[in-house]
Amino acid sequence: MNQTLSSPTVLLVVAAFLVAALPHLTAMPGWLALAIVGAAVWRALIALLDLRRPGWLVRSALTFGGLALVILHYGTFWGRRAATVLLCVMVAAKLSEMFRLRDARVVATLGYFLIATQFLFSQQLLLFGYLLVGCALVTAALVRIQRDADEISPPADDGAPDGIRVARLARDGTMLMLMAIPFALVMFTLFPRLGSPLWGMPENALDGRTGLSDEMSPGTIANLFADDSPAFRAEFDGLVPPRDQLYWRGPVLWRFDGRTWSRLFYSNRAPERTPRPNDGAFAYSVQLEPSERRWLFALDYPVGAPADARLSADFELIRKRPVTTLMSYDVISQPDFRDAPELQQTLRRIALHLPDSSNPRTRQRAEELRRRYPDDEALIDAVLAWFNQEEFFYSLETVPLGRHGADEFLFDLRVGYCEYYASAFVVLMRAAGIPARIVTGYQGGLWQPSDGYLLVRQSDAHAWAEVWLEGRGWTRVDPTAAVSPTRIDQGARSALSDGAGWFGAEWLYQLRNQYDRLQNLWNKSILGFDAQRQRDFLARIGLDDLPTGARAAVLVALAAIVLVPLVFLAQGLARLVRKTDRLDRGWQRLRRRLQRAGVQPRSGETPLELAARSTDRLTNADELITLTEKYCRLKYGPATAIEEFDRFEAESAAWRPSRLNQSPLKQS
Amino acid sequence: MSSSRSSTKRAFPEAGLAPLIDALQRRLDGWIRRRGPVHPPFTLGYRQIYILPTRFGWLVGLLLFAMLLGSLNFNNNLGLFTTFLVSGIGLLSMHIAHRNLDGVRIAAVSPGQAFAGELLPLAITLQDTRGRGRSGLVAKIRGGDTASGSDLPSSASADLKVSIATEQRGWRELPRIRLRTRHPIGWFEAWSWFWPAQRVLVWPRPAEHAPPLITRGNSDDHSQAGDESDEFHGLRDWREGDPLHRIAWKASQRHQHLLARQFTRPERERIVLRLTDAPGRTLEERISIMTRWVLEADRRDLDYGLELGSTNVPSGRGEAHRVSCLDALAAYG
Repeated sequence: MNQTLSSPTVLLVVAAFLVAALPHLTAMPGWLALAIVGAAVWRALIALLDLRRPGWLVRSALTFGGLALVILHYGTFWGRRAATVLLCVMVAAKLSEMFRLRDARVVATLGYFLIATQFLFSQQLLLFGYLLVGCALVTAALVRIQRDADEISPPADDGAPDGIRVARLARDGTMLMLMAIPFALVMFTLFPRLGSPLWGMPENALDGRTGLSDEMSPGTIANLFADDSPAFRAEFDGLVPPRDQLYWRGPVLWRFDGRTWSRLFYSNRAPERTPRPNDGAFAYSVQLEPSERRWLFALDYPVGAPADARLSADFELIRKRPVTTLMSYDVISQPDFRDAPELQQTLRRIALHLPDSSNPRTRQRAEELRRRYPDDEALIDAVLAWFNQEEFFYSLETVPLGRHGADEFLFDLRVGYCEYYASAFVVLMRAAGIPARIVTGYQGGLWQPSDGYLLVRQSDAHAWAEVWLEGRGWTRVDPTAAVSPTRIDQGARSALSDGAGWFGAEWLYQLRNQYDRLQNLWNKSILGFDAQRQRDFLARIGLDDLPTGARAAVLVALAAIVLVPLVFLAQGLARLVRKTDRLDRGWQRLRRRLQRAGVQPRSGETPLELAARSTDRLTNADELITLTEKYCRLKYGPATAIEEFDRFEAESAAWRPSRLNQSPLKQS
Repeated sequence: MSSSRSSTKRAFPEAGLAPLIDALQRRLDGWIRRRGPVHPPFTLGYRQIYILPTRFGWLVGLLLFAMLLGSLNFNNNLGLFTTFLVSGIGLLSMHIAHRNLDGVRIAAVSPGQAFAGELLPLAITLQDTRGRGRSGLVAKIRGGDTASGSDLPSSASADLKVSIATEQRGWRELPRIRLRTRHPIGWFEAWSWFWPAQRVLVWPRPAEHAPPLITRGNSDDHSQAGDESDEFHGLRDWREGDPLHRIAWKASQRHQHLLARQFTRPERERIVLRLTDAPGRTLEERISIMTRWVLEADRRDLDYGLELGSTNVPSGRGEAHRVSCLDALAAYG
């Protein structure tokens, strides 16, 4: 068997690899991506310009160098990102020694694998296009490799432009891929799914790009504001809460070390009592994008936890495993509920604790306020009014705070966003003797009226405060709302300056909102299709109570039904494209028309003889002879430009026989 | 496809087992006929075509299984879709590989010529009977190298070349030929065995060291190189078929068209090669030496004949004569 690769094959394999690796390349450090692309281009150049092949020293240097770079950067080969980057590096190194068919096959096949692994990171709608293009190219490369193995030379240079010749290389693969789509859809719908995973997901899939963390120090949410990617989408059954009620509760933070707020381990216990839903309750389902965290978000106050999650004493929803793929859950929230009518002494102490000798000015201010407003609620109102009336500004562009963060913010800086306000507010409350804590989460969201769902982006991340009031329990206070009501009405976007460049352009924002509607549909119908949905679907078509064996039989039968006619269709289509067949069809059409005009072809007659014989029947036989000569030249002569075939096709389709001496007598 | 279906239809319901045995017999006959040597032309039907994954195909299957498990485990729907898409491509490729052979007619198997120990070329002429083009058809013989593959345009024919190793002179059966395809992506191999009921004559191996030809009266060095020893006669117009070395290049240039030198040979040497003259311990050695002599005589453009005892080849020269001499030697004994 032939073992050498032709250069078009090498180019196609390299192209397939680059396309399959594209999303991985964008996710890895630039220098590494450049090195990989460089290796691929080098291999392509070797094939194109017939350069010298790299020796074993260069090859092993590439391989081990790549390994070293990956471990230097990621510190491990474990974990999804490091592993896939390593795979890319290894395939790129393999390219440098890809001189035999077997190696090319390995590289091409790993292309499929690279494509599949990309979906561990993201399953966006756009990536479906990547899936199709990538699979088509890899398949085309495999077809070319097999042609090389059978020593069938690439189609001769028939004068077609380069673009067309490249497209032809990819044609067979694309055809195969397109034909396989219906089969894939059937399998996708009917193949039994796992209700629960067999093993866990490695951590750290999102390259550190995560949602809310369980700690907060002013400045940490800021990186989320620029991130317009969706955090989750919510669909309400029935009532939709008003906008100022859309506080999506995440981690609740109690501890404060002067700079950073963190959770209380004690919060992990179960709540003493849970709300009972009544008519005012909201029922909704949330589609949560992967976040690598265990937080699920719900409006105040969730009455229970979805499957594999639990409800904490602070009414946080905590999942057993981090959310690594798109997941959906249903929640019911009861807004009308009193959280902790009694506050335990220990908790009260924690909720009042401030680090010693920090923020003296804030403490002093709190004492003044306390003297003036003995009532807690009056004091809070006074603080909010202070925020509202004095020169406090809401802006995402601010500076980090130092040791006496609340002092600096309240008395000097006065420019900041939710974290700054919430943090300073809680410090002030604690200093005034009111138990207070911070709640982080998301606020608001974009209502997509046509599809009836609420899109909450990472940029909707928010932090607010809860104070404990006698008789009311924990009560939400949002100091940011006092400063910038638009933040609550319109989201954090309202605070982004107009100078955000093209990325922030309004039309683009609208376009992205429209795109998200498609993405939502995609998430619901394709990505959200899990074991439960499959059962529902099977129930709807009446296949749910079949035993497993029978379902397998249905699966196989359907697959066969879909697949087999496709093969015939594929070949039919392929024939449509083949130029020789186009030629023959043109000729057959001429023959049929001749037959109808009364010139019967005889067996063993050459086309030219037939055409010559038609002269005594037709007036335009000379045109026919010209056409026939052209047909013979194209069919049996040397290779000709594809345009000639087109022209023959057009001319033969246009030609009609016109009969000689059409007397009415003969016609009858 | 076998045509055994069209035979007897018996109407003896009381015969009990007889129709069953008859059917079994017919099936067995068909089976043997399908697998025994057959005269071309012979059309491959679905019953003659086997298909299995290649080693590479198995590896891809393993990879797909891993992808399936991973995607199922993480409920990764796009990963799952990719897996099914690639599996679909694989299954399609299986069908295509099968259809690529189905309806291919082996129109003829034309053996070439070879001396024992050399490779004997076979040309296998394939025709398409279904009006669809075939790609990447390869013929292979057990133990032989795989020759290059070929495409078969729709309703046309194509030749595949294989070569078989030869060891002994004489008639030999053609081996079973494996016609296979891995089109389109090499994950599945469809193949069919074809055993042409044909024989081919392998010429004897020419001896490496043979005594010089015994030519009548003359010593060897005198009668060397036919052309130079002949007398130059004149020039005539070059005709198709004249050997290139006879062209008188200089003269042709002067006359603006090709001229060939003409020689006359007043008396051509005529020799008879006798098996009894050939030294050697065994018959094979002597045949081998005879073969060398035939080649030598042919090279020198002598008139020569063979006397092998039972078979004789009258004197003559030229390509056809050489072939009949070699054939006679090959078939001797």
